[in-house]
Amino acid sequence: MKPFFPSAIRHAPFAMLHSPFSILLLLNLLSNLLAGCSAPPPGGRIVYGLTLAPSGLDPHVNASSELGIPLTSVYDTLVYRDSATGEFVPGLAERWEASGDGLVYTFYLRQGVTFHDGTPFNAEAVRFNLERITSADLASQKARFMLGPYERAEVVDEYTARIYLSEPFAPFLDSLSQVYLGLASPTAVKQWGADYQLHQVGSGPFVFAEYVPGDHLLLRRNPDYAWGPPVYGHKKAQLEEIEFRIFTDPATRSPALETGEADVVGEIPPQDAARLKESADFRIEAIPIPGVSLMFFMNTARPPLDDVRVRQALLYGTDRPAIISAVFRDTSPVAYGPLAAATFGYEPAVRQIAAYDPARGAALLDEAGWSDSDGDGIRDRDGAPLVLDLYLMGWGNMPEVGELLAAQWASLGVGVKSQVVSYPEALQVAGEGQHHLIPFNLSGSDPDILRKFFHSQASFNWSKVSDAELDGWLEEAARTSDQEERAALYSQVQLRAMDQALVVPIRDYVNLNGVNNRVQGLRFDSQGWFPWLIDVTLENP
Amino acid sequence: MIVRYVGRRVVQAAFVLWLAVTLAFVAMQLTPGDPAQALLAASGATPEEVAARRARLGLDDPLPVQYVRYLSDLLRGNLGQSWLHGRPVGRMILEQLPPTLELALAAMAIGVGVGLGLGLLGAVRQRSWLDTAVTSVAVVSLSTPTSWSGILAILLFSLHLGWLPSTGAGDLRHLVLPALVLGFALSGSVARLVRARVVEVMGEPFVLAARARGLPAWRVLFIHALRAAFAPALTVVALQFGFLLGGAVVTESVFARRGLGRLAVEAILWQDLPVVRGIVVFGALAYILVNLAADLALGWLDPRLREKPA
Repeated sequence: MKPFFPSAIRHAPFAMLHSPFSILLLLNLLSNLLAGCSAPPPGGRIVYGLTLAPSGLDPHVNASSELGIPLTSVYDTLVYRDSATGEFVPGLAERWEASGDGLVYTFYLRQGVTFHDGTPFNAEAVRFNLERITSADLASQKARFMLGPYERAEVVDEYTARIYLSEPFAPFLDSLSQVYLGLASPTAVKQWGADYQLHQVGSGPFVFAEYVPGDHLLLRRNPDYAWGPPVYGHKKAQLEEIEFRIFTDPATRSPALETGEADVVGEIPPQDAARLKESADFRIEAIPIPGVSLMFFMNTARPPLDDVRVRQALLYGTDRPAIISAVFRDTSPVAYGPLAAATFGYEPAVRQIAAYDPARGAALLDEAGWSDSDGDGIRDRDGAPLVLDLYLMGWGNMPEVGELLAAQWASLGVGVKSQVVSYPEALQVAGEGQHHLIPFNLSGSDPDILRKFFHSQASFNWSKVSDAELDGWLEEAARTSDQEERAALYSQVQLRAMDQALVVPIRDYVNLNGVNNRVQGLRFDSQGWFPWLIDVTLENP
Repeated sequence: MIVRYVGRRVVQAAFVLWLAVTLAFVAMQLTPGDPAQALLAASGATPEEVAARRARLGLDDPLPVQYVRYLSDLLRGNLGQSWLHGRPVGRMILEQLPPTLELALAAMAIGVGVGLGLGLLGAVRQRSWLDTAVTSVAVVSLSTPTSWSGILAILLFSLHLGWLPSTGAGDLRHLVLPALVLGFALSGSVARLVRARVVEVMGEPFVLAARARGLPAWRVLFIHALRAAFAPALTVVALQFGFLLGGAVVTESVFARRGLGRLAVEAILWQDLPVVRGIVVFGALAYILVNLAADLALGWLDPRLREKPA
């Protein structure tokens, strides 16, 4: 799942379309033997497969995770984040400074930058963009909220812009480094109005050339580009053209690679990835995604999960490596805590908490007074059986994981009643606390993402936790700019979540990109989802 | 007479349209979940911000108020803006119309052509091995989901043989596989209907009379029997065509084609009410018009129907 955005959006629309995988696999194997490698298309051109038709493509308005894959190369941002070191580096801002109280950021802008339509980039363009994003009329679904306590922007002079916040906001630079806060040509925005998303104009290494909603998007090299951030390996884009096409059905993704209809496709199903890896013509680039791992939230407000011993018993009774192996073919790291290991502030000590130990789980349930008195295989207490309501969503392999969990917990004597619901329904069910267990995962490069899940007032507080200390740590970590202090606070949050057994973590998200071997130089930003396309080259263009 | 007939059809059409949009409204109300929450939950919006968005979308108003606004917008031809995309619904539907229409027409042509051919073959060679084969093919056509036959077709024709592109839209080559898959799925019902009807007609006195008069067998079959068989087939075909105009979700998804089907599914899952309403109105209109055309054609094919307009 991509930054701050639920995989609800990534997979929900076509979650109900199941494909006959086993037959597919067999036939694919057969076809592999028979089909040769297709000829490379002429010129420096590749086809990049998206996995979901973006639900609207304006980064200021829409929240789709897919839009960032093409548009990260259309827009420039004020700052960039080095995906190797996590450091912020100059982008359209040559340098910047924050006031001591963390409320005022001053950006000194690069000169000589022009948008693709010739409009010059300056402080007024920065102000215009921020005003657009925060205006109520735009009804932004994501960008507005990434700005946190934004108050206003000010033009100090032609190339100096100042941004005022109403309170300190630690993730601010991380937000500014993402495509959702990319800078658009004010001229184009005014000219196209409601249709701007069909005619987007940025200042990046590629120009938004053609977009047919739901079908394809064409990017063409920007020959004038000369202001790339230091994280880019090249001064100008190496490819002439990139066409983005959409492969929503997971079963069609590896065939698209193998027929040569696409050169790169994201989110290859694990079983197809295993096969592609064996091939001489393709490779799998597995990119770990930072953020919140796939985990099952345990509703601490609903008996019997209000008893920490029962929650811990479920953790001890979960054989995570078995799930990773069966469902994800060992392509994902096992998750031991709420934060993915690829995220800044990850606390490795969570690995020591509650490793698989079913005997200990059974002992905890005994201690909590749950025993199988009627011999039906399900524990009970005071005549009530230990049966938990598990809600699942149809994407991200959640139903398969749920099935294995139910089987593992059955051997502890815990019954599970599971049910698959849509994303809006899941929000309602979990919001109202009708669940015992419900899974979710969300990507994002800043650990402030934990605040969305473990703060008592959070929209995804699906563990129904209300812990003043947790609230305090999360709020403090969102305000302080000292990275070490932040890391210490997030470490406490992660350990508390596991000590209190608020969640059952399962796996860190990994994007399995299938890549034709003629494509070289594919690198991704610190979100893990968005490629830096400027550096992509073809072996034999 | 004809004026009264047309007037009646128009009133019927308006009623069907009202029923369709009302049902869509009610169904969306019954779906659990809050659209504003679904749009904003993952962004970290505060409950106040979600409430403000809900008010902005008009979801705070009492249901009767929402319903009246929904209908009056529609009467003024205003389909509104998508909550999810922030774009005009009318334009979004028009964008997805050409690929949908293209696929529907091509699939219909194949479905009717194949179905008619198979049905006739089965009828002429009744109870022979050929008839059994035709019936079997029809059963396979009816019972094979396009999600499955689509993947098989991609594996065979694109991956293995390399004859045709498996995905996307554009030139005619892109249309062949999806149209074949969808057309085949349609051909089964047409074949069964045609076969049954031709068998029936071949036993009727006017066919016997024609044969007794010494008309050649092909003439009896193609002029008399087929004409009689065509009428019920047309009704079925019209119904399916109207259905296809609403988008062929599964086929669109398997072949990575854009179209109304995918737009509709996305809108329903996100509870994007303006888009759902727009597609329902469009689908209902298409249905009504296609069936009206079919009825008029039936009247031409079968003079008896002209006396008692349905």
